[in-house]
Amino acid sequence: MSQLKHVKAIQNGDFSGLPVSAGSTAVNLTGSWKFFRPHSVIKDSPCRQACPLQIPIAGYLDKLEKGKVSEALKLLRDYNPMPAVTGRVCPHFCQNACNRQEFDEAVLIGDLERYLGDLGLEDRHPKCTNQRSEKIAVIGAGPAGLSAAVFLARQGLQVSIFERTPAAGGLLRYGIPAYRLPRNILDREIENLLASYNIELHCNREIEPTQMAQLKKDYHEVIWAPGLQNSSLPDAWCSTLRVKGALELLAAINRGEDIAGQSFIVVGGGNAALDVARSLKRLGKQVEIIYRRTIAEMPAYAEEKKQALDEGLLIHEQEVVEKIESKENILQLNIHQAHNHEAQISAGNFLRTFAADYLIAAIGQESNLSFDTSETIIKAGDFDHGAASVAEALASGRRAAESILEKLEINSAINLNNNSENPIVVENRHLHLDYFTKKPAINVPELKSSVRKDNFSEIRQSLNLTQIQSEIERCFHCGSCTACGICWFFCPDVAIVIDREEDDPAKRVLFDYDHCKGCGQCAAICPRGVIEMEEDN
Amino acid sequence: MQKKAILLGSDAIAHGVRLSRPEVISAYPITPQTHIIETLSEMVDSGELKSQYIKVESEMSAIAAVLGSVSAGSRSFTASSSQGLAMMHEVLHWFAGARLPLVLVNANRALGAPWNIWSDQSDSFSQRDTGWLQIYCETSQEALDTIIMAYKASEQLMLPIMVMIDGFILSHTMERLLIPEQEMVDNYLPAYRAPYRLDPDNPMTFGAAAQPDLFYEIKKTFSATMTEALTVLDQCQAEFAQKFERSYEPVMHCQEGDDESDTAVLCCGAMTGTVRVAIAELNKNGTPTDLYKLRLLRPFPNRELGSALKDKKRVIVLNRACSYGVGGTLSQEVRAALYNLPQRPIVNDVMISLGGKEVFPETIIKLVEEHEQLSSVNCNWLDQ
Repeated sequence: MSQLKHVKAIQNGDFSGLPVSAGSTAVNLTGSWKFFRPHSVIKDSPCRQACPLQIPIAGYLDKLEKGKVSEALKLLRDYNPMPAVTGRVCPHFCQNACNRQEFDEAVLIGDLERYLGDLGLEDRHPKCTNQRSEKIAVIGAGPAGLSAAVFLARQGLQVSIFERTPAAGGLLRYGIPAYRLPRNILDREIENLLASYNIELHCNREIEPTQMAQLKKDYHEVIWAPGLQNSSLPDAWCSTLRVKGALELLAAINRGEDIAGQSFIVVGGGNAALDVARSLKRLGKQVEIIYRRTIAEMPAYAEEKKQALDEGLLIHEQEVVEKIESKENILQLNIHQAHNHEAQISAGNFLRTFAADYLIAAIGQESNLSFDTSETIIKAGDFDHGAASVAEALASGRRAAESILEKLEINSAINLNNNSENPIVVENRHLHLDYFTKKPAINVPELKSSVRKDNFSEIRQSLNLTQIQSEIERCFHCGSCTACGICWFFCPDVAIVIDREEDDPAKRVLFDYDHCKGCGQCAAICPRGVIEMEEDN
Repeated sequence: MQKKAILLGSDAIAHGVRLSRPEVISAYPITPQTHIIETLSEMVDSGELKSQYIKVESEMSAIAAVLGSVSAGSRSFTASSSQGLAMMHEVLHWFAGARLPLVLVNANRALGAPWNIWSDQSDSFSQRDTGWLQIYCETSQEALDTIIMAYKASEQLMLPIMVMIDGFILSHTMERLLIPEQEMVDNYLPAYRAPYRLDPDNPMTFGAAAQPDLFYEIKKTFSATMTEALTVLDQCQAEFAQKFERSYEPVMHCQEGDDESDTAVLCCGAMTGTVRVAIAELNKNGTPTDLYKLRLLRPFPNRELGSALKDKKRVIVLNRACSYGVGGTLSQEVRAALYNLPQRPIVNDVMISLGGKEVFPETIIKLVEEHEQLSSVNCNWLDQ
């Protein structure tokens, strides 16, 4: 046995002569060899970039995914004070920009926002602790006015809102039908805002531009967000009382008034046209839409168009009303083929006559307020930028508030007017799609058209927790680190540490620069385009 | 208790592996080895074999995967053949140099070009100098037994062992077998306890750069251990014979001529079975001839071969691999081993088969009977 010197040595733990050392290679600082070094650069996702409110969607979804619900809600409401509302009625600019669209289908960000918004309906926004003396007046309690008020009140300013109607909400209350935005949701969202912040709401108080001088005396600043109250009507139609504006009729319906007449023609192709037509249909009226271009060209949201057609709403495309005549108790209309020449629509061949009780104009909105043009006023909402989405109105109100905060030299953590943060937007080509699994979006349950045709019950249903989790998992988290660990797996120098508990995505990947040789594999492989190489000095 | 069974050679090998309880298996399919790892994957899938089966995209990855698992202290297994084994070449060197124990089964197959899937020993003979032990098997039973013995020797020596079977001739034919019970094997082969291993809690450095003097020292130790390997193998084979009643030696005397016999035939692998028939016929017909089979190519059993052949006048070496420009690879090894004998026999170097060329008993008989016509200098290639 004695001749088995080397074999016995190994068995007895003497490794001399073997290529093994009990020492660690950590003493060898291979990091000194590198010319480039990796670092995390959190970038913007296209969804956030597309959002008028710049909501950090990947950020709040990350928190929601980790079960940090109140943190997720706080982050969302920091940017958007009314998520239960926008989760329902926003056209979801975010989803139309989602990188996942090219992969399978966009993430249902709207439904996720709605879920989180609903969770927060009874959850008070954090109170502002420092009260300031400045008083601000906001004219109009629509989304723009409410948003402006919230962003001012968050900084301790005293805000008074003057609303001409009996209740706050603006178009959310008097324009959008309840089947798209249930009133109990709207009421609770607004109540929560008013209960959380130092905001005085004065309803039934119409303010005229002539009162500006007095307002300026009483208030530090005034924000005008009265909306566009009137429907536009062509002069030729104003001769008869049987022509009504869509906004006015929608407001009457939403106030629960009895609507005279049985047959209606709605002219227009926007959301207001569909809202009024579908509301009338629910009240048992006969309704048809006349639109001058094709259904595909209608500016109404795609979802609304689809639902309207599902409900059997008759839309006559490429037709125009050329002549109206009020006869006894009925309105006689001449319908012509729409003649489209270089995008200019004119009346072509006569098609037929049509008799209806009322003609509803849904062809635009305008304001009847006029100001002395020499005066600079702060405007917000549709009154400022023309008819647009709720999200744009909220953003406009926020911007108006931020402009006042800037004047007062109050720093708020977020600012829509200052968009220099995160200028790089992650595109599909920056992602490594091989690391993601195809999975279609949740098929969101809707009330069947047969069930919803004669009532104002909400059509689109909420997702349950399982569906929410499934949908969150679909988010690529473009440009944001999720601590997925792919870089750690590929790093040939074991120079990456992943901190899964870290809240800040920029600090989840830690680089051991003493040993990182700067090969760049982590940057090349990052599924979300987060890691970049920079010159090592 | 050993169970009787009639099984394919590949399945016999899979059972040898199963009984050895590897914790990690990683392999890439290649004809004629594929059945081995297919059977093993089914055993893992059914739970019969508790092992991690790592699927890979090439032989290079397969050997690299088990390089990792063995470094981490797990008994592991891989198998390959021909081009696949050639692809592993770089890591084969590293494996042995790193002193990691492993059993690799190679189903011997020719290397292209031209393309050929049939048996010869060029693939494993090409890996002669990688520092692995190499054992060639004649039967499936021998292969099954050798795998179990090889794990024991490999882990004692901290050196990898390659076990060879002839592609198709063993892998794809059925044989009556004795399959030991697990308990018997467990009694013979204890669980592997790595003397050192990859462990994040106890960081060590494996195979780091060695300066010239240290490198030389490490290789000197390696060489000494390789010499000692013969003793360890003997011990492992002796204990196996005692527990399983089947005995194996590095050089096995398969057929005996009478006292007058001064000619020996030497070969290795499954071909031995055919040669046995030919030598029996020769002995019966008055041409006394001995047959030796060589089981061990590395380390080469110089002393054992020398004492077996020291009284012979002639050794006919049947080769299934060629070192082009010299002759049969096995013949060169035999010549070197006999060089120090006081009276060296003549060595006839015969290239009996390549790429699956059939070996017939008549060919062997004719070679021995007409040995005067064989060159003792150059390699003898057969006429068509």
